[in-house]
Amino acid sequence: MTEALRNSLSALVDQEATEFEVRKTLDAVKSQPELKSYWCGCQAISGTLNGDDLLGMTLVNRVNSELDEVSSAGASTPKVNVKFLPAREVLPSRFGTLIGQLAIAASVAFAVVVGVKVIAPIEMQSVVSSNESLEFIKFQLPGSKEKVSSQIVSGDFDGGSTRPMARILTEQDLKRMVSERLSSYLVRHAENTAVVGGTSVLPLARIMGHDEPIQ
Amino acid sequence: MVLQMAQSITPIREVEADNDQILVDRVRLGDRHAFDLLVLKHQSRLLTLVTRFIPNRSDALDVLQDTFVKAYRSLHAFRGESAFYSWLYRIAVNTAKNHIAIRRKESRDISVSDEASDVERFAVFQDTGSPDEEAGADELQMAILDAIERLPEDLQRALTLRELEGLSYHEIALAMNCPIGTVRSRIFRARDQVVQEINERFPGTFL
Repeated sequence: MTEALRNSLSALVDQEATEFEVRKTLDAVKSQPELKSYWCGCQAISGTLNGDDLLGMTLVNRVNSELDEVSSAGASTPKVNVKFLPAREVLPSRFGTLIGQLAIAASVAFAVVVGVKVIAPIEMQSVVSSNESLEFIKFQLPGSKEKVSSQIVSGDFDGGSTRPMARILTEQDLKRMVSERLSSYLVRHAENTAVVGGTSVLPLARIMGHDEPIQ
Repeated sequence: MVLQMAQSITPIREVEADNDQILVDRVRLGDRHAFDLLVLKHQSRLLTLVTRFIPNRSDALDVLQDTFVKAYRSLHAFRGESAFYSWLYRIAVNTAKNHIAIRRKESRDISVSDEASDVERFAVFQDTGSPDEEAGADELQMAILDAIERLPEDLQRALTLRELEGLSYHEIALAMNCPIGTVRSRIFRARDQVVQEINERFPGTFL
């Protein structure tokens, strides 16, 4: 126990030691128990001057013995026999990784195929239904747009009629669709007529009541 | 002159970390010796605190032992937001209150038909420890005070300014009109002399 170490310990008592001194002193305390006694003496001086009760090393020994008991009791408790595999064993091999990637790719491809098979018929069916309705529109209205739509739909729809229908359009639906398209057409027509001039081909009452479905 | 000295001296406290925190960090790394230093540092103040709740010295020591064991086990929860002593203080007060509650419950469980009188029943709260222990502690304190009185005046003054007034080395240097290094040296020499004298008069006291 050198004087320098005692000096550092005294500074440590007063919280005036530098960090380097603290580390050096604590390292020395491990190998020199008399430094702990010196520290205890310094604390006794402080306690005496402040009117505190003195304890010496009694309490430290008691605390240490209890902590040792607890740690030894913890060490003696039977351990659960659980084997943790090292990370290398848990991780799959390269071959396994390749198989995993292939499995993921295959499942994604399967999902895409199933999606196409399941979702596409519904869309086609709706097109089929609209196709029928377009025939009806064509019958009522001389607009060229409907003819184009009808042709496109007829071109797209090949062999889809054998698939089960996901959605069945009722007559009311058809009427509603016709009414919606006709209403917009009537409004456009009225606007064109007003701009171009001349007498309207449609009565005003019919334009105003365009929101009502045509029976 | 004092002002010039104050400007030339860099206060040590400003450049230092809290030494308690360094000790705590060491304990967290598994250094039990650092925890011993913390126990030795705070045990006297905490004993004084606990004996206000529990006058019986033996019980107070048990409570103090529990306090430090709890502190050691829950040291990971100490985040350093407050001083380490404040944290210990709260643990000690809670442990003392729990101890009192348990003892009160035990004393209530004693049937009224027991022959022990109320005075005997609650004597445990009034007992202040064995006379030998008390005499030994008093004798040691008297010896320490004697040794301090025999110190040279400059050493004695530096030590008392530090211990009684709680001044930092920087403040003591200003008060004594000397460099910080001299203050540090004086305080160290004062302590060294007292500890050596106590060790000569009471061998093994601090072992």
